[in-house]
Amino acid sequence: MEFSELQRQSSTIAHGYHGAQQLMRLQSKSVVSNQNGPQFNWGSPPSEGGEEGDVGPPKDLRERPMTMRLKRAIREVQQMRVPVVTSWQSWKRSKAKSLSRFRADAGGVMSYVALWRKALHKIGGHFGGGVQSYFMFLRFLVVLNFLSFLLIAGFILIPSIVFRSTSTSNMTVDSTGPEVCKVYDPNLQGLVVFYQYFLDLLSGTGFMEYSYMFYGYYNNTVAESSGFHYNLPLAYLLTSVFYFTFCLICIVARMGSALRVAVATGSGAAGSYSKMVFTGWDYGCQGDRATKLKQKSIHYQLQVDLEEERLQKKALSLTLGQTVGLCSLHIFLMLVSLALIGGAFFGIFKATVFSQAQVGAEGILGLFWVYLPSIVITTGNFVVPFMCDQIALFERYSPSTTIIMALFRSVFLRMISLGVLLFTLWSQITCFKDSPKCELCQYNNKEYPCWETRVGQEMYKLALFDFLITIAMLFLVEFPRRLVVDHYSCALTRWVGRQEFLVPPNVLGLVYGQTVVWTGALFCPLLPLINTLKFFILFYCKKVTLFSNCRPAVKTFRSTTSTIFFLVVLLFGWGLALVAMIYSLAQIHPSMSCGPFRSLTMMWSIVPNTFDTLSLTTQDFIFYMGSQAFSIPLFIFSCVVLCYVAALAAVYGKSVDLLKAQLKLEGRDKQFLVKQIEELSREMGVPTRDQLDTFDTGAAN
Amino acid sequence: MGNKQTIFTDEQLDAYQDCTFFTRKEILRLHGRYHELAPHLVPMDYTNEPDVTIPLALIVSMPELNENPFRNRIVESFSEDGAGNLSFNDFVDMFSVLSETAPRELKAIYAFKIYDFNVDNFLCKEDLEKTLNKLTREELSPEEVTLVCEKAIEEADLDGDSKLSFADFENMITRAPDFLSTFHIRI
Repeated sequence: MEFSELQRQSSTIAHGYHGAQQLMRLQSKSVVSNQNGPQFNWGSPPSEGGEEGDVGPPKDLRERPMTMRLKRAIREVQQMRVPVVTSWQSWKRSKAKSLSRFRADAGGVMSYVALWRKALHKIGGHFGGGVQSYFMFLRFLVVLNFLSFLLIAGFILIPSIVFRSTSTSNMTVDSTGPEVCKVYDPNLQGLVVFYQYFLDLLSGTGFMEYSYMFYGYYNNTVAESSGFHYNLPLAYLLTSVFYFTFCLICIVARMGSALRVAVATGSGAAGSYSKMVFTGWDYGCQGDRATKLKQKSIHYQLQVDLEEERLQKKALSLTLGQTVGLCSLHIFLMLVSLALIGGAFFGIFKATVFSQAQVGAEGILGLFWVYLPSIVITTGNFVVPFMCDQIALFERYSPSTTIIMALFRSVFLRMISLGVLLFTLWSQITCFKDSPKCELCQYNNKEYPCWETRVGQEMYKLALFDFLITIAMLFLVEFPRRLVVDHYSCALTRWVGRQEFLVPPNVLGLVYGQTVVWTGALFCPLLPLINTLKFFILFYCKKVTLFSNCRPAVKTFRSTTSTIFFLVVLLFGWGLALVAMIYSLAQIHPSMSCGPFRSLTMMWSIVPNTFDTLSLTTQDFIFYMGSQAFSIPLFIFSCVVLCYVAALAAVYGKSVDLLKAQLKLEGRDKQFLVKQIEELSREMGVPTRDQLDTFDTGAAN
Repeated sequence: MGNKQTIFTDEQLDAYQDCTFFTRKEILRLHGRYHELAPHLVPMDYTNEPDVTIPLALIVSMPELNENPFRNRIVESFSEDGAGNLSFNDFVDMFSVLSETAPRELKAIYAFKIYDFNVDNFLCKEDLEKTLNKLTREELSPEEVTLVCEKAIEEADLDGDSKLSFADFENMITRAPDFLSTFHIRI
């Protein structure tokens, strides 16, 4: 059977090649004796040498599971044979070889250029994949923000600077409206106390308010000079819209590559024990500490899996009364946590209203009032999850469900608190209660002469405060904690222990920071640049604290440290920012005293206005694209494509199942046939496989 | 540093480049690492293919391997004599399979060899138990170990012989998305 087949093949090869002969006989013995072992199909390479495709035999050789000596011997043999190929084929093959060499070298160079490659690798080796995925996410956000900044700089900032410095042949359209609405005095004082600059830097007022930082500084210039036409308001709007689209595309592309792997390998739940045992160990782990930690982590993971199974079995065996009791307990505790979160929102609302009313307060107290919403939000983000964790102790969910519930509560809290802040601001600006303040200019021009700048300032303050708090936590909490724990050992310090680097809360912090930037980018165009710098510095700070102060979390869950999870949460933030942007563009009257949209009733109306100035053929073309004659066939076509892809996916799923079943059957067939062979050979008195083995070893020695 | 090096001939370097996933520079670097494991045993000049092997005890003292619970099995699986003595060929082969660019099928073959403690080409319950104990530093109770091993075999065994053949193992590996990234030692 296979035995003789392999024997024949090995003798064919050994026949021609002296150098490899001895080797191959030795090898063939060990291969032949394993029927169920990995099938080393080393009979084929020499014969296939001549007909290989473009890449040629060399690539194939690397992937063969033979010892190096054997591979080199085969390669020598292949080199010796002169394949009969045309000059075209040999040219192609040599080009392919040099191309693959070039690619290998280029790959080596590119890996040096990649940002923080060595740092990420070191982090992964010492703290595992979960922590590394946080830092990779941070790197992704740095790059995303930097590219966004380049986009904004190229289309808004630089043209603005150019138009300001060359103020010839530019058109600024003045707004039509009551004179009092056009008054905007951004408080430019000549000489101020020196620390006022510092306060202004922190709160975005004073010298910072009327600068390229905020919306209010940009004019609605339409530059026209010798054939060059640049409509700044239109550019501002379209760049903002494109910025959102660009971020969405980046996130979805990144999610796509991770999802592809997840979908291809099927559901993670099935086969978790075998996967844990065989693929759980990270061979890249270096160092005693990292290894012990990984072992503890695997141990914990297995215990959790076993515990979850036990809980599942118990849940199945609950009586009806117990189930009802458990459900009502869950609902009650959910309401309690929702009440806590609602309380936090109310606090934010009140703080924002109060803070907006305190405009004009001086000094440190003024700074405090100005930062009040940020302070309340950050406090809420600390206190409420802590209390929800205490509630979760009573909830008696399984461990993984507890963690996921806690995470969703935190996400909900953070995103919606930002939403509440925005809602409060907008209600103040547009006077929801239809007070007489807003009748004149359709917005509250007395308190907000340039409301977009105020919103931009709020977002700037949020971003800055977030950053300052992180740095402060680093120096005032984490370093001292480590010093105390390391130098004083009493029961308390041992119980508290070193700081744990928990990935999900850190990731939520990043998502929150990014959402703030997205919300504020329309009103504060330089915010992506600030965020790039902030995240860049944050990387180094977090790395320092990771290596000096932290011990990695033993209790991790793969699902919550995966890239897909981070990106989904990031999409939530993006969605919130998108809602905010659409509302600002389409609903609120732009300030009449400042900014590129001062002459319009709605920010979006610049697009229809410019549209009317296009040539008639372009207008007709665009109308046609929007008309029913075009869009309905397009819609039908995309439905057809969608159905096709869905059907294809279903077919693939079915064929995967069929192949799995076939695999099972073939295994059983093979077992059956092997038993038959052994029985038959026993009956016929032919020496069995084991007897032959001993015979061979005797002969070779 | 770019000048002529006399450790290997150009032909030898070409051969190594074709048979492994390393570039010339990396192969030379690997030779440096191999040499510093046993400077008196390993000659600097490999042009005439000296027949030198380094024993297992020295190989597992490398920082990349010395904390790995499977270090002995890894070195044994790549050694020609099965006892863990690696020649330079085997050394390069080992790190080539464990490198980033090695394909999944190749890694699966060697992973199977590594976890097969009693070298019978099956992953039986004892093999799994040994693997699990090495993974968790023997902190699981014996009942838990038995339970996990039984569940693992149950999940992966396709032909119903209560041990895992290579086909079962490979099938299970294809469903593990991070096998490629975990079965990877960077050198």
